[in-house]
Amino acid sequence: MAAARVDYFYSFRSPYSYLSAPRGFALADDFEIDLCFRGVLPMMMRGESVPVAKRLHTMRDVKREADRLGMPFGRIHDPLGEGATRTLAVSEHAIDVGRAREFVLAAGQAIWAEATDPATDEGLRRICDSAGLDWEGCRAAISDPQIAARVDANTDELVEIGHWGVPVFVFGGEQFWGQDRIDDLTLTLREAGLSRG
Amino acid sequence: MSKLRDRAEREIGPRVIVAASTITAPARTAAAARRATGRSGRLELYFGFDDPASAFAVIDLEQRLQGRKVIFDLLPVVERGIKDDPALERKRIYGVTDGRRLGRRIGLTLSRSEPIDRQQTAFLADWVAAAPRGSALTRFCAAACRRLWFESDGPVEAERYEELWRECFGSAPIADQAAVRANQKKMAGRGPYETPAAWIGGRWFFAQDRSAQIADWLDQLGWTVK
Repeated sequence: MAAARVDYFYSFRSPYSYLSAPRGFALADDFEIDLCFRGVLPMMMRGESVPVAKRLHTMRDVKREADRLGMPFGRIHDPLGEGATRTLAVSEHAIDVGRAREFVLAAGQAIWAEATDPATDEGLRRICDSAGLDWEGCRAAISDPQIAARVDANTDELVEIGHWGVPVFVFGGEQFWGQDRIDDLTLTLREAGLSRG
Repeated sequence: MSKLRDRAEREIGPRVIVAASTITAPARTAAAARRATGRSGRLELYFGFDDPASAFAVIDLEQRLQGRKVIFDLLPVVERGIKDDPALERKRIYGVTDGRRLGRRIGLTLSRSEPIDRQQTAFLADWVAAAPRGSALTRFCAAACRRLWFESDGPVEAERYEELWRECFGSAPIADQAAVRANQKKMAGRGPYETPAAWIGGRWFFAQDRSAQIADWLDQLGWTVK
């Protein structure tokens, strides 16, 4: 029988996505699920505006949440634009070679805690190396139109399911928006009898 | 865009914001001064009666603040949110799903499956904004939020809430739309753009999701549980 599917919509430009990643990927350790990573374009590249008040609060709030979760945060390089699209392309390649978790965790930390610029080859290559990915394969993915089409399809699907922000987890048609709702998803998966062991 | 400006926007600006957010000395000094002059701390909660997350926050914070010398300042608003937000309607619908999860955290079951139009509950905001702060108001708000979201469905009947008001205050409510507008203006000035938002000593938090942060900040300010 196929494992239950959990879609995980994620943006490399969303600090809340970064906060969600260690616990998000760990769901696949604890439950009999197929966790499908779905990288999407940042809100501002999807034509949605983010007011200044929201941007300011997000930085402050994420710092407090990161401290609470014991995650590094603060040495930031905003990847909006090419940095985001290149990272998304490599994340699709990482899925293909079975290293999505390693890459997403490495990229999140590099962007939000180490001020690494993924728009440069030097920055992105450092992330790929730390995730155990072959640079030539990653570089090919960046210019692969089929890979770009997969990212566009993920982004379109987020809109189609009626959601606006990330991270979002979708299980059995039910949406769980935000890194604050992973506990609720965990409870739902447990109630569905999907716990391992 | 120049390289310097690009770096300022992508790296320096965000880093400065994050670093500045960790400065606590002015707020702690102000809180100590309040205590030294016999005054209490203050938690301002900006909330909407039409919002299930706000209902959760009112009920939850009323419990969590017990034992702390902190005034629970309940400030209802009607108009708020991101201007021209294209996701407004989707957020209202999702809010009901999310409210069900929040309710479960405090042992309550959401009784509604559809959002409430904000104009349907605006009269409650008009009453509460006009009323004197204190335990009767807190009692009313908590009871009204329970009734609205965890004990009823369908249209909101003002008569039922007027009865509740009389039970809490012993008199009829007075409506004041200008007081609600003043709350909305104050909320915008503090920074929050959506409800429920808790403002304490210069910081604001989304009140439905940041219980641990709120408790930690109150402790840092010296408003500990006695």
